[in-house]
Amino acid sequence: MRKGVRIANKVGRVNRGGVGRALGGGTALLMVLLSATAGRAAAQVDTIPGAVRHLGVVYESYVPTLAISPFTGRFGGLTVAPRVEAVIARDLRYSDRFEMMDSIPLAPGGGAVDYGLWDQFGADWLVTGQVEGLGNRFVLVLELHDVVFSEVKERARFSLPRPDAEDFRMAIHAISDDVVRWITGEPGMAASRICFSMESAAGSQELYVVDSDGENLRRLTNFNSLTMSCSWSPDGSRLAFLSFASGDPAIHEMEIATSQTRVLEFNRDGQPMTPVYHPNGEEIIFSLADGAESGLFSWRVREDCCLWRLTAGRWNDLSPSFSPDGRRLAFNSNRLGVAIPQIYVMPAESGGRPDLVSPYLYGQGGYYTSPDWAPSGDRVAFHGRYRRGSYHILIADVAAQGQRLLQLTYEGNNEDPSWAPDGRHLVFVGERDWGFGLFVVDTVSGRIRPVLSGVRPRVPDWSPSLASTEPPTREN
Amino acid sequence: MLHRGLIISVVAAGLFVASCGQEELPPPPPPPVEEGPNQDSIDAARRAAEEAARRAAEEEARRAAALEAAREALTAMVFFDFDMAEIRSDAEGVLQRKVDVLRASPAVQLRIEGHADERGSSEYNLALGSRRAEAVRQFFVNAGLAESRFDVRSYGEEQPREMSSNEQSWAQNRRDEFVITAGGNQIQVPGGGQ
Repeated sequence: MRKGVRIANKVGRVNRGGVGRALGGGTALLMVLLSATAGRAAAQVDTIPGAVRHLGVVYESYVPTLAISPFTGRFGGLTVAPRVEAVIARDLRYSDRFEMMDSIPLAPGGGAVDYGLWDQFGADWLVTGQVEGLGNRFVLVLELHDVVFSEVKERARFSLPRPDAEDFRMAIHAISDDVVRWITGEPGMAASRICFSMESAAGSQELYVVDSDGENLRRLTNFNSLTMSCSWSPDGSRLAFLSFASGDPAIHEMEIATSQTRVLEFNRDGQPMTPVYHPNGEEIIFSLADGAESGLFSWRVREDCCLWRLTAGRWNDLSPSFSPDGRRLAFNSNRLGVAIPQIYVMPAESGGRPDLVSPYLYGQGGYYTSPDWAPSGDRVAFHGRYRRGSYHILIADVAAQGQRLLQLTYEGNNEDPSWAPDGRHLVFVGERDWGFGLFVVDTVSGRIRPVLSGVRPRVPDWSPSLASTEPPTREN
Repeated sequence: MLHRGLIISVVAAGLFVASCGQEELPPPPPPPVEEGPNQDSIDAARRAAEEAARRAAEEEARRAAALEAAREALTAMVFFDFDMAEIRSDAEGVLQRKVDVLRASPAVQLRIEGHADERGSSEYNLALGSRRAEAVRQFFVNAGLAESRFDVRSYGEEQPREMSSNEQSWAQNRRDEFVITAGGNQIQVPGGGQ
């Protein structure tokens, strides 16, 4: 049975020339299956109206099996190589792109890779690594083996920070993302962080960041105030957020490396909220509630000038999110009624009519907020509920205007999704029987894992890739 | 008082001794009569002064209580229905008392702070709190008060009064709070301070 699947996949890879394209073929098949099961899927749903898809009926594409041979090398002591290996192994598991084989204590066959043996174990891909020294610097020599074709697919030397350095783990995460790209041709998300706000021990709400794998939680602000709604700049170097630190609510911008923070002074009445960067990194778009009216405004952060109004009305427009090309904007608005906020998309240059992408049905209510535009450009994630149901994470196909939805959560309450830089995972705040936590869902398999639990995080924002721009030395 | 009592006891003891004794003793000399201001009138004056002071203190306490009531009227919270920013009928009386105090106290300025319960999204609740604060400012403006006396802001769902997740707590958390930002020492009791 399993052998059959693997053989079929090998044929697929040979014929289509890559796993990425093989997955594409699977998606086409999925659509066909979906139309056949659409009626059944609709009947199962009593929470969200419209044509909601559920991952339970999704055909699972073939997931290649990946093995990691124990990393070798004694430079820096016996513990460094296993530490590097452990971080990469977990990153690759968290990528949800591979069936990870249980680790094998010894490299079978000693020196040279025995492809026949790994093939017998069921591996499609094999990663081997060796930690070496170059002077007093650490170098990881990594090899990716294509077991099916019995060859080395990639070989590269990565220089590593010292194991006690602060950026040691992040440098390894970047290597994990390279492995993902080698195999799938797609970006990873291991080298990234998640910003969110949370109550500190002193009782104030501060900003925190945590690495994508849940490690390295640290507090960014100590304002002793209410601070929330952080948003990463496109280059990952700055954060914009709302804070009451200076007394009045204001948008702040922080240079993360130095913690240097400034207040954006608009010289305009009203409470600013929900800032987000334009993909060009030079503008911040935010909501300003001024009197009974509110709207979305832009502000040029580089020049520190020029308040520009994008929308206005006697309602609230908030939580803007740009399409990756910066041409369109998704946002939340209660223009159809105060208790029924919905998700809209509109041209960012203003003037265009906003289109609904949440599943609003006239007279049926529904509450949908917190949109985040996917890096892939074609989908918007948000959360919401229908009537008195629970809050769940949904993804809407932008082109289908609320007619094609994917529901990703079924348990508890779930809020504030934010896309990972791989365009595949979402982070969100989940409420379960045992409390709150920060969770990550894989939008392809539906797999959910907790990142932080037992804390009450708010409004997370996933960073862009924080991998260093210095490319590894590839040796093939 | 104590002296007089003592004298009376001594006299009584003397009489008792006298009545029981065999020898007749001359009667004791009468107590000297004090000349000058009458003790009763001194007491009366003191009482009057004390009464006046008491009245003044009572009046002061009444005024302080009225002032405190006015201050409490200014800072009394108003509550809202789920996901709504409309002024509830039970809030109108609370707001009208604020209007009365504000009219009498032109130096007073208020910050109106809108809050929401934990349900719904954090960011949407910021907007909801902002609408709740704005609804009350509009009530004041409609009552003829200057808009510039009011500053509005929203804390969304981030500063609950009650931590439990039930309707009773949520109802307490859907509120506007009021902070006196200026003229706190110039509050006048409506109706001329009577």
